Amino acid sequence: MPGSSAEIAISAGEQPCSQPVEELMARVQTGDLDAYQELIRRYQKKVFRVINSYHRNPEDAMEVLQDTFLKVYNSRRTWERRSSFSGWLYRIAINASIDRHRRAAKVKAASLDEIMESPSHSSATLRSDHSPLSRLRQEERRRMLEDAVRRLPERQREVISLRYFGEMQLEEIARALSLPLGTVKSNLHKAVLSLKEMLMRQREVLI
Amino acid sequence: MKSCDDVRELLVLHAERQLEPGPSRKVEDHLDACADCRKESERILGVLALLRDPELFRPRQDMTWEMLPASLAARVASSAAARRWLPLNFGSHRWALAMAATLVLGCGAIWRLHQPAPWTTPAAEVIQASGNEAFLARIEAAFAKEATAAYLNECRDLLVHLLHARGKCEGEQFDVSLEVARAQQLLQRKRLLGAELARPEVARARALCDEIENFLVNLSTSQSCARPEEIRRMERFIEREQLLLRINLLQSELS
Repeated sequence: MPGSSAEIAISAGEQPCSQPVEELMARVQTGDLDAYQELIRRYQKKVFRVINSYHRNPEDAMEVLQDTFLKVYNSRRTWERRSSFSGWLYRIAINASIDRHRRAAKVKAASLDEIMESPSHSSATLRSDHSPLSRLRQEERRRMLEDAVRRLPERQREVISLRYFGEMQLEEIARALSLPLGTVKSNLHKAVLSLKEMLMRQREVLI
Repeated sequence: MKSCDDVRELLVLHAERQLEPGPSRKVEDHLDACADCRKESERILGVLALLRDPELFRPRQDMTWEMLPASLAARVASSAAARRWLPLNFGSHRWALAMAATLVLGCGAIWRLHQPAPWTTPAAEVIQASGNEAFLARIEAAFAKEATAAYLNECRDLLVHLLHARGKCEGEQFDVSLEVARAQQLLQRKRLLGAELARPEVARARALCDEIENFLVNLSTSQSCARPEEIRRMERFIEREQLLLRINLLQSELS
């Protein structure tokens, strides 16, 4: 179970952080670029996972990741020390992802069937790999879940992304999204049930 | 004991350990007695286990994570340096007056340049000529950067298309006829860009263009229908050489 934002960075398997993120961010607020780089190093992979849940193309996710950290620097003075840094950061990342989708007029995700039929996700491509069958099935299951997450309604997807890829507590998510805790729980419940249904419609994937 | 519907409403939060001890115990009691709800609980636990998979939405291993912090720090530093040349308060009257004065002086200077100058001495002509050369050099450098960025952009589009939007031939082969034709066009474009790519301002981009050229040469000689292993070989090359990331980084440098 993830803990505070400082603990999160350690649990993510990245560089151990000697300085709490709040202090690091305070240095960034003064324009300290070493602190800014350290902040990016700590969070880049986790933020990438959250952003990647909004994009089918990793290159798009990479561009949004860069935009996110640039916005972090440009908006550094708007962060308040008493608020959760990770909540603020992920809010920027999610907004940047949604903005990009809106700009590209790709808000509505294609159906799961379309996604599964596209060449980059086709099971034929995966089957032609020479890796062991179990690894292929695991990879295929993963791709299906990724596509299913991308099809969730916006609010549910936010909750799922922050909970499992941003590794935030439900209380932190509620604060980050300015929602009552009950609404976060309700969205989590609906999202998990939707994912289960979507996966179960794909024969023999889940169980 | 709760009904099945009541219990199912709580299964996700139960699995997430978000229930108070009382309701949690009731759910467990129900699961002990009800095989259908137990099955449903296992399915939900299965979804949650998949969601906790660290490989889900994972960043690709080949991405240059070490480069990103330094690259972004350089970008914010350069934009901060650029901002120092701009006035802090764009809305002030002084700024509007300064702009108007600059406009008037600029128009005057342009008008003056177009007037005959009988008093120009040979020394003044030399100074004016060297000034013009510097101005032209700046224009050429800007044009070279723009043309190189546009070329790299088209290369990126082709690479992305090759990775994600392939058509299908019969059997397991992929239709890459469009990509082959595009690679041939891009090779031709690069030859036309020779003068721009020779400029020192785009030296780093030139090195990348040369690497991409080798890839394009191979692609342009491919058959219209490529075997899956050929596609995978190209994908591996694009990923190993981090072509897309490097193009992105260079484009921000060129812009």
